[in-house]
Amino acid sequence: MWETLAQAVINGLLIGGIYALVSIGVTLIFGVVKIVNFAQGEFVMIGMYISFFLANQFGIDPIVSLVVSMPVLFAVGVLIQHFLIRRVLGPNDMPQIFLTFALSLLLLNLALMLFTANYRTVHTSYSDEAIHIGELYIPVAKLIAFGVAMALSAALWIFLHTTDLGKAMRAASQNRDVATLMGINPNRVFCVALGIALALAGAAGSLLMPFYSAYPFVGQVFVLMAFVAVVLGTLGNVIGALIASLMMGVAESLGIQFVGADSGLIVVFAMLLLTLAFKPTGLGGGRAR
Amino acid sequence: MTIWGLRTRHLLWIAVGLAFLIALPQVVKSSFAIDIFIRILLFSFIGVAWNLMGGYAKQLSLGHAAYFGLGAYTSTILQIDFGISPWIGMIAGGVVAMLASLPIGWLCFRLRGPYFTIATIATAQALMLIFLKFRDFAWGAEGITVPNLGNAPLMMQFEAKSSYYYVVLGLLALGLLITYLIERSWMGYYLVAIGEDEDAAEAIGVNAPKIKRDIYLISSFLTAMAGTFYTQYIYFIDPATAFSFNISIEAALVSIVGGIGTLWGPVVGTVLLETTSTLLQSWLGGSIGGVQLTVYSLILMAVILWRPTGLMGVATEAWQRYLRRRPARA
Repeated sequence: MWETLAQAVINGLLIGGIYALVSIGVTLIFGVVKIVNFAQGEFVMIGMYISFFLANQFGIDPIVSLVVSMPVLFAVGVLIQHFLIRRVLGPNDMPQIFLTFALSLLLLNLALMLFTANYRTVHTSYSDEAIHIGELYIPVAKLIAFGVAMALSAALWIFLHTTDLGKAMRAASQNRDVATLMGINPNRVFCVALGIALALAGAAGSLLMPFYSAYPFVGQVFVLMAFVAVVLGTLGNVIGALIASLMMGVAESLGIQFVGADSGLIVVFAMLLLTLAFKPTGLGGGRAR
Repeated sequence: MTIWGLRTRHLLWIAVGLAFLIALPQVVKSSFAIDIFIRILLFSFIGVAWNLMGGYAKQLSLGHAAYFGLGAYTSTILQIDFGISPWIGMIAGGVVAMLASLPIGWLCFRLRGPYFTIATIATAQALMLIFLKFRDFAWGAEGITVPNLGNAPLMMQFEAKSSYYYVVLGLLALGLLITYLIERSWMGYYLVAIGEDEDAAEAIGVNAPKIKRDIYLISSFLTAMAGTFYTQYIYFIDPATAFSFNISIEAALVSIVGGIGTLWGPVVGTVLLETTSTLLQSWLGGSIGGVQLTVYSLILMAVILWRPTGLMGVATEAWQRYLRRRPARA
C-alpha cells in the first residue's frame, strides 16, 4: 500500500515538472503582457516535432536537441509578440483571447496537414531504463526531464531576480504604466517574456520526447493542465505555478492509481472547479483577474 | 405603421426574405444543397444563441457545447427510454441546460476575461467526460442510433430533408426574434454596458451578476434546442459529437467573423464560413484533415487583426460612406 502510494507520488512529481515548464510560461506571459496564451500547448507540440525530426534525421538525442528547440521557439515568441500580439494589446479582451486561440487552431491543424495524426516516438538508450530503490522504481528518462525542468525553472527565477532585464519584466508585470515612466520599453520586455515562455514550452517538448509520443493534439493535454495550475497557483505567480503544477501531477497520478486509468482528467477538472468554488484567487491569495 | 419598432419598409424586407427562404427548398431539390442550407441555418442559430451572451455582454464562452450536448442527450434519453416526443424533449433539454447553467455560471462568472473562457472550456470537457464514463444512463462512448420511424412528424422525424430545413429555419427565426427584442429592451442596454466595462456598469447600478445569469439561461436554452435538432437530423448521438469542442468553437467563430454583438452577425459569419468550407471540400475532396480549421483560423486572425467589428462592421462603414457621398434629400 505505502509503496503504491509512494510510487504514484513519484510518478506525479516527475510529470509535474513538465507541467511546470508549460504553466510557468503561461503565467509569465499573463503576468507581464496580461494576456492568456491559448497556443502554449501547440508550442510544446512544435518542440516535440523539432526533437523528433532531429532524432530521426540526424540521430540527435532529444534532450540534447533542447539547444535547438529552445532558441527556435524563443525567436518564434519574439516574432509573435512583435507582429501579432502587439497589435491587439488594449482594454478589449476579445481580440486578445481569440488571436491566440486562432493561433492555436492554426498550428494544430497545420500540424495535422503536414505531419498527419500519426503518433511519433523516439527510442533512446535510456527510454526503458529505471533506477530501483527497494520496491520503488524511477524511470531515468522522466528523472532527467524533471531535473532539467527544475534547473530551467531555477534559472528563470535567478534571471527574474538578479538581471536588469529580469527586474524590468517584474516591474512591467507589477505596473506597466509606472514601469514605462521609469524608462522600460514595454514592447522589448514583452518580446522577451513571450520568447522565454515559448522557449520553456519548447524545452518541455524536447524533454517529453524520450518517453512520450508526438501527435498534433498533444499540446491540448498540457495546456489544460497548465491553465488549471496557473489558476490554482494565482495568476501571474511563477513560484505558485511551479508548486501548483507539481500538485496537479501528483493529484492526476493518484487519481489514475486509485480511481481508474481514465480518471486523471476528471481529477484535474474537479481540482479546477473546487478552486473556483472556494478560492478563486488561487492558493497564493491576490486578486483574481 | 410600426410593430415593435419595425417600419413598414423593414417588414416588407423581412417578408421578402422569409418568402425566399421558404421557397428555397421547393426550387433547389438537390439533397446535397439542402444539407448545406440546414448546416448554415443550424450554425447561424447556435451562433445567435452564443452571441446573446458572448456578443452583447462579451462573456466569451468556449463551452457552449455543454448545453448543445445536454439538449441532445435529454431529448434522446426521453425518446428512447420513455418514448417521449423530441418536441417535448427539446423544451425539456432547454430546461435541463438552464438548470445546468446556474451552477456553471456561478463558478465561471467568478473569473473574468480569458479565465472565464478557460473555465467554460473545462466545464464542457468535464461534462463530456461524465457522459463518456457513466454508461448506466447514457450508453457511454459508443453512443446510440436514434430509431428510424420513417415519416413521424410528431417524433421530429421526416422523410423529406426540406422538413428539417423548415424546423431549423423556425429555430433561427425564434433566435433572431429573441435577440431583436432583447436588443431593444433595458436588458439589451445592460448587456452592452457590461460588455463595455463591467465595473463601470455596476457603478451606475447595473446588477451585473443577475443580468449575466439571466442571459446565460436564455443562451443555454437556445443552444440546447439546437442539440436536440441536430441529433434528430443525424439519427445518432455519442459524447464526442454532442459535446464536441468544435461546436463551441464554431458558435464563437461565426459570431466574431460576422460581427460580434450584432443581430445579423452570426448569420453573415456562418454563410461565409460554411460556404468557404463547402468550396474547399469540393475542391480538395476532403481528403486532407485539418484544412477546414486551418482556413477558419486564418479568417479569424485576419478579422481580429484588421476588422475586429467583423463583416457587419465592414458593411456598416461602407453604407455610411455611401450615405455621406449621396446628396442629401430635400
